[in-house]
Amino acid sequence: MVQDKLLKIHNLHKSYGDLDIFKGLSLAMDRGDRLVIIGPSGGGKSTLLRIVMGLEDITGGDVYLDGKPYILRDGGKTKIDHKLQARVGMVFQHYTLFPHLDILRNLTLAPVKTRGIPRAEAKAMALLERFGLAAKARAYPSQLSGGQKQRVAIARALMLDPDLLLFDEVTSALDPELVAEVEAVMMELADHGMPMMIVTHDMHFARNIASRVVFAAGGVVVEDGPPEQVLDNPQVARTREFVERVFARKK
Amino acid sequence: MHFDPTIPFKYWDALLIGLGTSLRLTLICLAIGIALGFVTSQARRSRLMPVRAVAIFYVELFRGTPVLIQLFWIFYCLPMLIGAEPGNFISAVLSLSLYAGAITSETFRAALKSIPREQYDTCRALGITGLRLAIWVVLPQALLRAIPTLLSNAVALFKESALISAVGMADLMFIGSSIANRTGRPVEMLTAIAIIYFTVAFPLTRIVGRVETRILRRLAV
Ligand SMILES: Nc1ncnc2c1ncn2[C@@H]1O[C@H](COP(=O)(O)OP(=O)(O)OP(=O)(O)O)[C@@H](O)[C@H]1O
Ligand SMILES: [Mg+2]
Repeated sequence: MVQDKLLKIHNLHKSYGDLDIFKGLSLAMDRGDRLVIIGPSGGGKSTLLRIVMGLEDITGGDVYLDGKPYILRDGGKTKIDHKLQARVGMVFQHYTLFPHLDILRNLTLAPVKTRGIPRAEAKAMALLERFGLAAKARAYPSQLSGGQKQRVAIARALMLDPDLLLFDEVTSALDPELVAEVEAVMMELADHGMPMMIVTHDMHFARNIASRVVFAAGGVVVEDGPPEQVLDNPQVARTREFVERVFARKK
Repeated sequence: MHFDPTIPFKYWDALLIGLGTSLRLTLICLAIGIALGFVTSQARRSRLMPVRAVAIFYVELFRGTPVLIQLFWIFYCLPMLIGAEPGNFISAVLSLSLYAGAITSETFRAALKSIPREQYDTCRALGITGLRLAIWVVLPQALLRAIPTLLSNAVALFKESALISAVGMADLMFIGSSIANRTGRPVEMLTAIAIIYFTVAFPLTRIVGRVETRILRRLAV
């Protein structure tokens, strides 16, 4: 028997008023995959992740998780299976730690209040330990550097044992010298086989972490392949143009 | 007749009773006003248009008219409307609470608005929704952000409460000015009253500044 895909997006449509963001985008992901999504600014990368997280309505198409219908249109409305939604986690660009709670309680709030997970504290301490943040357990977010905050945000998402973790430009708001520590944590997750979908502008990092790179533009997937293909030797003219422009800007 | 600073001291016990009344009234109206203000701030975000309309009318009416006139409405017009005399203290509490509620609802509204939208996204991603979102994430942050302004509101309310003397409540202002009239010593007495109001209000305004920097530092993420 063929195993179901971890995530399958089929013929996705999404528009804001007259603006069509997705015009039949399809994309599938295996359990071992780490997908990096690249594409022009305003092309819908954030929207795609937000849809997969269950934060946005869709206009058409459907999304499957583990072969089960996760998001679909029904009777003119977007239907989201909240049991499946709970198996997806997301880390955002900024302003996401709870400023009124210390780090430990930032990690334990969701597990304790919504899932009644026992021993959440021990698990949180273990995660903080693993990310080199144990000493900060009782500190407040405002006392942390940007890089530390993002590592906490990743740890917090891991508290709920997601099957898929989404990252939307998690290093874009950071000072350059803090980017590496966050990327290192993500690399460590990759080594442990964590399925991830990542939006990043850091092409060097994309090359290192991706098992596949997806170039999305004009509301569809333009090119999808291993990083050596999409980043170094794109097969589609549109991808080549984009990649060359991004690398030219870097130099 | 020359300035005699010893005069107010002769009446310290009466002034103290007046101060007690002013403080009691302020605290009661502050408590009611905060509760009323929070409810009103929620009503202004209601999905039901009539609820929003009533809330907005109430807030703007009480923010946009002199407190003194609000007092006269409650003291003289309300008895005509309801056909009963609620009594001085109740009327004073009612009018100052309504005023305080209108002011604090704006405080809460601003505090709620200053919570970044990312906080809501994160909560949904973590499965924290509905009442849990309100109780564990939104309310604590809104309250924290509102505290400095609520303290300033409290100081303002304490000073505004002097207006109830105009309708005959025996607060600090009323007692002080009665003594001034009776003794013919308005300069000494009114200065003394001002000093008493200042002695209560000044430390509070200083605390507001301190609390504000601390809270802003904590919430800066
Ligand atoms: N809530 C919304 N209402 C209307 N338009 C929106 C909304 N959210 C996003 N858009 C629009 O949808 C398009 C895609 O936005 P999105 O943020 O997904 O792009 P992006 O690829 O993440 O861009 P960037 O690289 O700049 O982050 C943009 O044109 C944006 O203006
Ligand atoms: Mg984006």
